[in-house]
Amino acid sequence: MGTVIREQDLGALVVGVTLLGSGGGGDTGAFGRMLRRRLGAGELVLRDAGDVTGVSVSPIGVVGATSVLMEKLPGGGEFDAAVRAVSRWTGTEVTGLMSLEAGGLNGLTPLIAALDLGLPVVDADLMGRALPRLDQFSWAVAGRSLTPCALSEPSGQVIVVDNVDAAGLERAVRSFVAHTGGWAVLALAPTPVEAAAADAVQGSLSRALALGRAHAGLEPGATPAAVADGLGGRLLGTGRVEEVARHLIGDGGAAFGRGSVCVVDAGSRAVIRIETENEYLLALVDGTPVVTTPDLLCVLDRRTLQPIAVDAIRSGDEVLVLALPGPAWWRRPDRIIHVGPQAFGLACAPQLLEAS
Amino acid sequence: MRDLAPTLAAMLSSPGWSDVVVLAGAAERLPRLTGSRVLLEVSAHPEQLDGRLLVVLLADDHTDWRIDALISRASAAGAGGLLLAGVEPLGRGAQLLAGRLQLPVLGSEDPLAAHEYLRRVTAEPEVVRSDLVLRAVAALRRADGDLTSVLRTTSDVLERPVTLAGADGGTLAGEPLEAGERTALVAALPRVPVAWAAPYRVDLPTGAVLIAVAVVGVGPVCWLVARLPGVVPAEVAAVPDVLTVVAPAVGERLALRRLELERDARQRTSLLGELLHGEPSEATRRRAVDLGWQLDGWHTGIRIGAEGQVDVAGRRADVVEAFDAEGLRAVVVEQGDGWSAWITAVREPTATEVQEQAAAIRRVQRRLVQTVDAYVGVGRVQPGPSGIATTLAEAGDAAGLARGRAETGRFLHVDRLGLAQLLLAWTRTDTFQPAAQALLAPIKDQPGDLVTTLAVYLDTESSLAETAAVLGIHRNTAAARITKIQHLLGVDLTNPDERLALHLASRTSPTE
Repeated sequence: MGTVIREQDLGALVVGVTLLGSGGGGDTGAFGRMLRRRLGAGELVLRDAGDVTGVSVSPIGVVGATSVLMEKLPGGGEFDAAVRAVSRWTGTEVTGLMSLEAGGLNGLTPLIAALDLGLPVVDADLMGRALPRLDQFSWAVAGRSLTPCALSEPSGQVIVVDNVDAAGLERAVRSFVAHTGGWAVLALAPTPVEAAAADAVQGSLSRALALGRAHAGLEPGATPAAVADGLGGRLLGTGRVEEVARHLIGDGGAAFGRGSVCVVDAGSRAVIRIETENEYLLALVDGTPVVTTPDLLCVLDRRTLQPIAVDAIRSGDEVLVLALPGPAWWRRPDRIIHVGPQAFGLACAPQLLEAS
Repeated sequence: MRDLAPTLAAMLSSPGWSDVVVLAGAAERLPRLTGSRVLLEVSAHPEQLDGRLLVVLLADDHTDWRIDALISRASAAGAGGLLLAGVEPLGRGAQLLAGRLQLPVLGSEDPLAAHEYLRRVTAEPEVVRSDLVLRAVAALRRADGDLTSVLRTTSDVLERPVTLAGADGGTLAGEPLEAGERTALVAALPRVPVAWAAPYRVDLPTGAVLIAVAVVGVGPVCWLVARLPGVVPAEVAAVPDVLTVVAPAVGERLALRRLELERDARQRTSLLGELLHGEPSEATRRRAVDLGWQLDGWHTGIRIGAEGQVDVAGRRADVVEAFDAEGLRAVVVEQGDGWSAWITAVREPTATEVQEQAAAIRRVQRRLVQTVDAYVGVGRVQPGPSGIATTLAEAGDAAGLARGRAETGRFLHVDRLGLAQLLLAWTRTDTFQPAAQALLAPIKDQPGDLVTTLAVYLDTESSLAETAAVLGIHRNTAAARITKIQHLLGVDLTNPDERLALHLASRTSPTE
């Protein structure tokens, strides 16, 4: 069995992957429209990993500066080029696709690629949410090599990278996109679906869809508590954004903009501070850390209930601050060190919601 | 321990914390700081604090989320405040949080020094005291001889303003007190202090404290006052000791200054004495030049008398200052119960100039009246060295007259035309009138209005005919009355001295 996606589901799917983005993952709007156009009146099946056999799946997605996507638009052949390059290098035909990252626009890119290439999509990804670095792929954490892999960028350039660890791949990818179009499609080596899914977060796209549907089912003017209940999360506060501070820090070559958002709860006057990089990483209420990665921190517009991304939030916004449970895959001490707050240079033990 | 705990506000105004600033938190709240605990960096966890200040030695980034977390932990541990290294502003979240938890957050470039100072004032008040006293003693040894230098040195040691105030709270040296402080101080201090009395502590409504120690020596009593803007108990305990050590030094400076004043005054007074006794000798002239007195030229003498006990030598400076303020360059010499002064001009002043000068002198008197109950006489302009004696003698007479004449503002100016008037005026004085009345008493209650008859007889140059005509009586009646007057008074009206005395006496209120 799988989950069937039709045109009317796309709105919910887009909101769902945005929520999994935890404030990051790039702008889902453009790929949402692209997907709507490709899908038309047809349908797409998200297949459970257990239901497909004998398929070699390649995790695929977009890497680099996703904000540049709005200016440097896809040419249309990038997915095909990357998949063909990695097939050719490995000698194994890619017969299925899965997502690199379910949160943000990469929750949608494999679906577009699948429609373009006529390949099945497996309902799994390597993060279960949005995360900023390639060494945070579940494959890398589980000890599986990320190489060989192929990158293709909008003007047609393709490179294949092999025999390098996750950090080396990160450097290779960053220097490649920095000197080309700012972003590229990354396709990892085709892997038998059983092995690929074993070290991946399964069901993440259908979770996104379920989250999106729950969001769509919220009544207009729902109370903040009702919103949190409806999405299955915890309300940290409701109020006005008092300050958004952003500053750049150099962090081992990869510079991410570190920042913080300060929200004062309208009812209790509690001070909520959220530390950010590309995603919302850590929330403190009155100075006490309450929720950290890998759980999801979401900031919603209080009126429209639309998720607000880290780079879009402004002082004066009226917002809800929610925490949603992160992917269960990460809840193991040996895994959480790769995605917990320490992985982002925040000296704080992971604070997770009670597993529901 | 509690007794020694200063409020945060007082600590912020204390010398050891001059570089500590408030970054966030309720400044209006007045927590007492019972001590302090040091943490190396912001991610450390404090133990139970019980009102102590939590001092963090390393805090590079004041917008770090760990500052927020530390504020939360410090508040939970019962901290009286949080002091961070550095003075950069906190993030908005941390500011709001500090306000919400009512935890004052401070910043300092040298948190360790602030910690050390707080520890000393809360735990080792006797060290603070001995340190201040020893530093004061050492600094005084190096201080210059004058009073200002002693006060400044003390002020530097205490890092507080130090004032030498008179019994009325007026500033004699150092930084002036504000009006409100002055009133509160005077109200608290005794009129007549005793040298061994404990230092006085005056708590002002603003929270500031004045510490006053009496300086008892020669001259009037004055007070050495230090102003502390807030109560840091250890400092409040230490400052009186420092002032007590300093007070004798101030007394000594005052005595030396007094000695100088007296010596100069004696010199001036003796020189003036010589000038008043005839033409000055060569030696006298030389000494006058040494003192800057110009003997030649035209002199206007001024006599300033003072009622009651006045420190003539001590207050001379006030008199000189008053003349200076009116643009008059006067030589002022202490003499008796007042001052003799004169103004010298190179050429003879015109009548207008004399009038203007008199008006200026009058303004000088008005200035002096604020502190001294003064009466002033001004003599005529006189030339040459001997002129000084003449004009001062006139001024002395005028001052004597001015003393009893409140209607002229106790000011009299002998101008060229007014001598007779003056003389007449003199007959109305308190000194002359009783004498005149005693002189005329024998004829006063006799029939025939003998007093009027005598006055008219003397006015008409001893003419019996004129007297009779003026009084409308017969010539024989006039002759009989004069004979009777001579008989009753026992005087000879042909004697000019007796005639003059009787003539003046008859001019005092004859109808009385």
